[in-house]
Amino acid sequence: MSTWRGDDRSVSGAAARVSGAASPPVRMRDALLRNTAFRAGLVLVGLLVTLALLGPIVARHDPYTSDFVGGITSENLPVGPSAEYWLGTDRIFRDVFARLATGARISLAIGIAATAIATCVGTVVGVLAGWYEGRALDTVLMRLVDVGLAFPFLLIVMALGAALDRTTATTILLTLGLTGWLGVARMVRAKTLQVRNLDFVVAARALGQSTWRILAKHVLPNVAGPVVVIATLLVAQMILAESVLSYLGAGISPPTPTWGHMLLEGQDYLTAAPWISGAPAAAILVAVLGFNLLGDGLRDVLDPRKT
Amino acid sequence: MSSTRARPDRRAIALAAALATSTLACSRELPAPIPAASPDDAEPRRGGVLDLATFGDLRALDPANVSDGMAPQILETIFAGLVDYDADGKIQPDIAERWVVEDGGKTFRFFLRPNVRFHDGEEVTADDVKRSVVRALHPSAPNPYSPYYASIVGYADLAAKKTDELVGVEVEGKYVVTFRLTEPDATFLYVLAMLPLRPVCKSAGDRYSDTWHPCGAGPFKLPPDGWQRGHTLTVVRHEGYFRPGLPYLDAVRWTFHQNPSSQTLRFLRGELDVIKDLSAADLLRFQADARWKPFGEYDAERQILGEAMNVRTPPFDNVEIRRAVAKAIDREALQKVRAANLRATNQVVPPGVFGYDPTLEGQRYDYEGALEHMRRAGYPYDPVTKTGGWPHVVPYTVYKMGLQDFTGQVLKQQLERIGIRIELRVVNYPTFIALRGRRDASPFGPGFWMNDYPDAMSFLEPLFHSKSIADEDSSNWSFYSNPRVDELLDQAHRELDDDRRKKLYSEVQRILVDDAPWAFTQNYRFYTQRQAYVRGHRTHPMWVHDLTRTWIDRAAGSVAGRSILSERSFAALLGTSRAAAPARSPREGR
Repeated sequence: MSTWRGDDRSVSGAAARVSGAASPPVRMRDALLRNTAFRAGLVLVGLLVTLALLGPIVARHDPYTSDFVGGITSENLPVGPSAEYWLGTDRIFRDVFARLATGARISLAIGIAATAIATCVGTVVGVLAGWYEGRALDTVLMRLVDVGLAFPFLLIVMALGAALDRTTATTILLTLGLTGWLGVARMVRAKTLQVRNLDFVVAARALGQSTWRILAKHVLPNVAGPVVVIATLLVAQMILAESVLSYLGAGISPPTPTWGHMLLEGQDYLTAAPWISGAPAAAILVAVLGFNLLGDGLRDVLDPRKT
Repeated sequence: MSSTRARPDRRAIALAAALATSTLACSRELPAPIPAASPDDAEPRRGGVLDLATFGDLRALDPANVSDGMAPQILETIFAGLVDYDADGKIQPDIAERWVVEDGGKTFRFFLRPNVRFHDGEEVTADDVKRSVVRALHPSAPNPYSPYYASIVGYADLAAKKTDELVGVEVEGKYVVTFRLTEPDATFLYVLAMLPLRPVCKSAGDRYSDTWHPCGAGPFKLPPDGWQRGHTLTVVRHEGYFRPGLPYLDAVRWTFHQNPSSQTLRFLRGELDVIKDLSAADLLRFQADARWKPFGEYDAERQILGEAMNVRTPPFDNVEIRRAVAKAIDREALQKVRAANLRATNQVVPPGVFGYDPTLEGQRYDYEGALEHMRRAGYPYDPVTKTGGWPHVVPYTVYKMGLQDFTGQVLKQQLERIGIRIELRVVNYPTFIALRGRRDASPFGPGFWMNDYPDAMSFLEPLFHSKSIADEDSSNWSFYSNPRVDELLDQAHRELDDDRRKKLYSEVQRILVDDAPWAFTQNYRFYTQRQAYVRGHRTHPMWVHDLTRTWIDRAAGSVAGRSILSERSFAALLGTSRAAAPARSPREGR
């Protein structure tokens, strides 16, 4: 597991035409919908969002309550999938579907919120560092990024998780968000370096526009495309990171259902009750695949080299 | 960019693929046990290697430093004691063929069997017994059990480093050794049967050293390369063992760091002969299969599981709240979390231990009663409106991935029904242990205790006597202090008469049931599954297995599953062939 670390190659060559690459909304929508990866990603993510939004409402049981009567077999094992329990019950006889759906809300919320934090921080840092290239601010920020990237991402996250007295959804998303911006910052800096020297930016400076105005009006809109692509991919990574943390026991404490912890809870029962681990494993797969395909599609369309 | 991005995909796909394959690979139907070669009434045959595995590891192999959970079952095969526990946990003669108790229980005189041999061939004498005792109790030895022997005259001076001599142990002849105690001690024979004071060879010297190669007088000995640290440990038959013709096995080999699933797969392939670390689901599969059930056996129940409440911190400083908790727990439901190993209980002492009282009413699930106790405590709870109860969230400290991780989640549901809201704080095991034993650090958490010797004192004193309270590493986890309990336990400690001692234990248990420093909930039973060709094997209440009478009865063609490499390296270690040979006396074998 590693987060996306930024890669200058992603934007090289795109610089010259970047300002003219934005398609009108309709043409862009059509291009996206023609893209197979994007469509597949959209379907998978749509499934996931539906599960998260409607799942807990339509679930027949409470995700936190054990059923020692209907959720257990005569051999004291969890019951398998049935009309009553759509995905069977777990080790302590709770509804796996209800837990999976509640877990989807948590995973999506953490994935999206952590990505939002990482993207915002990364963009601000990247734009500032790129604009002030070679100055003290750039040096300090980029050395900070280098140091951060030198650590394995999960190691930092786990160390933070272990240092906290107790872990909640908020601490996890802050931990992921505040450690996940490094790659974004590096990518945005590279992009800003290119945009900064383009004619229209030079013109704006010559006309005496303030730095903040130039950054907001000209630089940010021109780095937005790649940032959207990175952010989409980052959601998948955040969901995976949250699952890994929960699986390793450094995530949100039970009984809150998280996919990673559900995976862990079922592993001793793989032979007797494969649905306990199978359901969250499939959900993680769908989530990661879906967001990656979505990101792929977006990149294909937004990347001027391909248009 | 694509190379970096592909990484999570591959991992996720690999994870799902691994799950899918393992699910498919593990058929729900178990293969049949590998049959025994001879009829049921066949005479035991010598030869063969017994393969065992464990998920744990071993740091030391010395009676004076028993600190790992794995150590006792291995040490027991290497070191014989003056006395030992039989299969029912009763004291039986071992190196000492008999003993007399004099002076109202203050003097124990042991008469050693002549011609008992250490693994190095030397005879075990009274001098060796005394040397081994002083070595194990000397403050230079990292012996966690030393305080158990504090009643030996002169122990205090030895422990305080005032002298290197232990005057309470006297050599009265080549084969006679006497222990003098400061006061009568009903547990003395029990603690003597434990591992720490077992005689060690002269090579052990007078003081503990962690470089000593283990050498004792037990049925098996450790060959020079027998312990591959972190991997395997192999002991081979001690041909000079004092019980003629025993043991039957050529050797016993333990493999470390094997997770339960791998152990089960290896066991089913015939690579392991006996398995104990079964996952809950696998255990149920073995028990549900009529072909396997005859070769499975439960250990004696000797563990208590419960919920320890710190009586010094709110809300558990209020006895009514503690009583409410004790009555709110539906033990029958909780048991189903690991039905094959747990058995609901109502008292401290497990059924497999002297002092268990079947007539005790004990703590029982009584929902209405629990609500009544909440009312009396001043925190009434209304189950209809779900209002009232204890107004604060109570942290419940639990360690990662343990059984209590699951029972704790059920406990949370059950206590919410009486208005006590707990929050699981999941920490790693060392942190858990540190917090549980630290004064005022944790108000609530799972309690569990396994006895060191099969007598109620091994539970009651460490868990509930006020002398077991300490600022750090307190074994009295609820910091419970009751002068009446202390007095009864001290009296029981001096009481040599079993009936009278049992009555004292019952009285202590009645007080504890009512005062509820713990909610006593379950006993844990280990289940041992063996292959059909493993004969004469018995579980042991203290040592997991009794391996001295175990023998292998496997047809020659059925060893195909075993790795040829390990067979060869094993034969090299032993210097023998692995072919089973007819039983013969140890003398002939030398």
